[in-house]
Amino acid sequence: MSLLSVRNLVIDYARTRALDGADLEVAQGETVGLVGESGSGKSTLGSAVGRLLPRAARRAGGEVLVAGEPVFDLPDAKLRHLRRRHLGFVFQDPIGSLDPTMRVGNQLRLVLGRGGDVRFHLGRVKLDDPRVLRSYPHQLSGGMAQRVAIAMAMATSPELLVADEPTAALDSQVREEVSNVIFSLAADAGASILWLSHDLPAVARRCDRVAVMYGGRVVESGPAREVLGNPAHPYTAALAGAAPAAAAHGVRLEPVPGRPPVLTGPSPGCAFAPRCAFAEERCGHERPAPVRIREQDVLCHRAADLEPELSRRREVTA
Amino acid sequence: MRLLMWWSGRALSSAATLLGVSVLIFAAVRLMPGGFAETVLGPFATAEQKAELATRYGLDQPVFMQYGHWLAAVSGGDFGISMISRQPVGAELLARLPVTAELTVLAVAASVLLGVPLGVLTAVRARPGGGGAAGRLLSGLGVSVPEFVLGSLVVFVFSRYALGLKVGSWVPLTQDPAANLATMILPAAVLSVFAISVTARTTRDAVMGVLVEPYVTAAVGRGESPWSIVRHHILRNAATPVVTLIGTTVAYLLGGALIVEHVFNLPGVGSYIVQAVGRRDYAVVQAGVLLAAGVFIVMNVLIDLLVGAIDPRLGVLAGRRS
Repeated sequence: MSLLSVRNLVIDYARTRALDGADLEVAQGETVGLVGESGSGKSTLGSAVGRLLPRAARRAGGEVLVAGEPVFDLPDAKLRHLRRRHLGFVFQDPIGSLDPTMRVGNQLRLVLGRGGDVRFHLGRVKLDDPRVLRSYPHQLSGGMAQRVAIAMAMATSPELLVADEPTAALDSQVREEVSNVIFSLAADAGASILWLSHDLPAVARRCDRVAVMYGGRVVESGPAREVLGNPAHPYTAALAGAAPAAAAHGVRLEPVPGRPPVLTGPSPGCAFAPRCAFAEERCGHERPAPVRIREQDVLCHRAADLEPELSRRREVTA
Repeated sequence: MRLLMWWSGRALSSAATLLGVSVLIFAAVRLMPGGFAETVLGPFATAEQKAELATRYGLDQPVFMQYGHWLAAVSGGDFGISMISRQPVGAELLARLPVTAELTVLAVAASVLLGVPLGVLTAVRARPGGGGAAGRLLSGLGVSVPEFVLGSLVVFVFSRYALGLKVGSWVPLTQDPAANLATMILPAAVLSVFAISVTARTTRDAVMGVLVEPYVTAAVGRGESPWSIVRHHILRNAATPVVTLIGTTVAYLLGGALIVEHVFNLPGVGSYIVQAVGRRDYAVVQAGVLLAAGVFIVMNVLIDLLVGAIDPRLGVLAGRRS
């Protein structure tokens, strides 16, 4: 059984549809990268895992199971227990996710309880300077604050760590170190990671599996090397083509043409159809069902007949 | 060193503010239509009588001379003599301060004990879209009904149906606490209606603002209970605007709740000033307004210190890295 199982999840904000039937599985101990453009629904899906959505959000269908428990149907006390036992969250804004009026040491102690060893937990995230404990969050650098946030998230030994672009706000040299801390701590604890990111090369390097989001759905998922190296969905192919590191020197970067959609209700067909170079008539009005291409699960009507074409294109650009 | 700089800066700006207020009030009192002589001697007084009175009180001197004399005396702690009662103004104000202070304490205690929990509760319970309408209507009413309307209404109702409470016939606290409270509860309640409404509204807005902060989401994600989140993360972070408001309310009330004291006939600073204005008792009005300004300045310094203690980012020494 999967540790995390998201099934056909539909989330609406006041007028817009953030998730339009998203599916995702994360197994015990697995690291999964969730990638996609801004507005594709990554953050909504990440927050939905712990039912941490903004108040305006409403679930219009589907379910989220964490360790078999239906997150959206649990009573409050059980939901809190599930969050404490199974889940950990790290967010994009490191200083903002710490209480600005409480010293770092006190925040850690609040999480750890009376018997907790604050120094040990700071040591685990490579923060050895005892002055950190007496500091307020605004006195820390972004990298230090994010390490503190990681220490707090990992203090309760969660089975699944949801990291929502935890390094996007950091300087590039700090980024690597913070990512290292997260992945090594999770590996030691045997925890799974759901890593929300824009950074395709980093995801390709660090994650076991990748799920690609577009228009509020996971349009392709599978082993990281396969999905990013040999995509079966036209959108993934375009995204991988647009990633800087994927382009060889002298080859022009090809951005995904057009803009991502803003849905107000269920997408009638494939949400990517208007931007898709391979779209045909039915793509506009028929929702694609998942198909299996090699090791990937793909939401595309033409996935099977496009396979040779996409492979050939990769060879040309590679 | 930084602290010293801060304090000396505050002292200088406070002195400048007080000086400015003193000039304004001195001029304003003398610009009121109908001078002291007319008020005291009545409409049928002769020009000689008025001139004689003006000479006796030094009102025939040029205004800036009068101001100079007054300023010199005030800096020495002498607020002058009431032109009506012939008593030292300082002593009279001091004698009336306990009444006003008691009223302030009662009204502010009510707004903290009721307004703050009400604000926190309505914010935490708020649902998107609906809800909050009833609270907004109530607090809107509380804020906008004028004190003299509510005060008069209360006086009218309780003069007929006492319910153990009294209107007027004030008794000093030291003489009979129970009887004193019976006379103070109604005016304090009238003041509280406004104070509670504003406090609840401000608290609600502040808490709503904190609720969407990422550190609250993070705490929810860690599985902390709502009560623990309110206690550890919300109260302190939402406190800054509330403390500022309560401090300002204290200053406002300590300066004399003019209308309520007058309506309920309480011998406080407020009713003293209202009387003095009616009789053109210049020395009293000047001293009263100066006192109110002084209270405001002191309260503002206190608020700044408190806010700095609550939120390290806003402190006097903020920006210093540990």
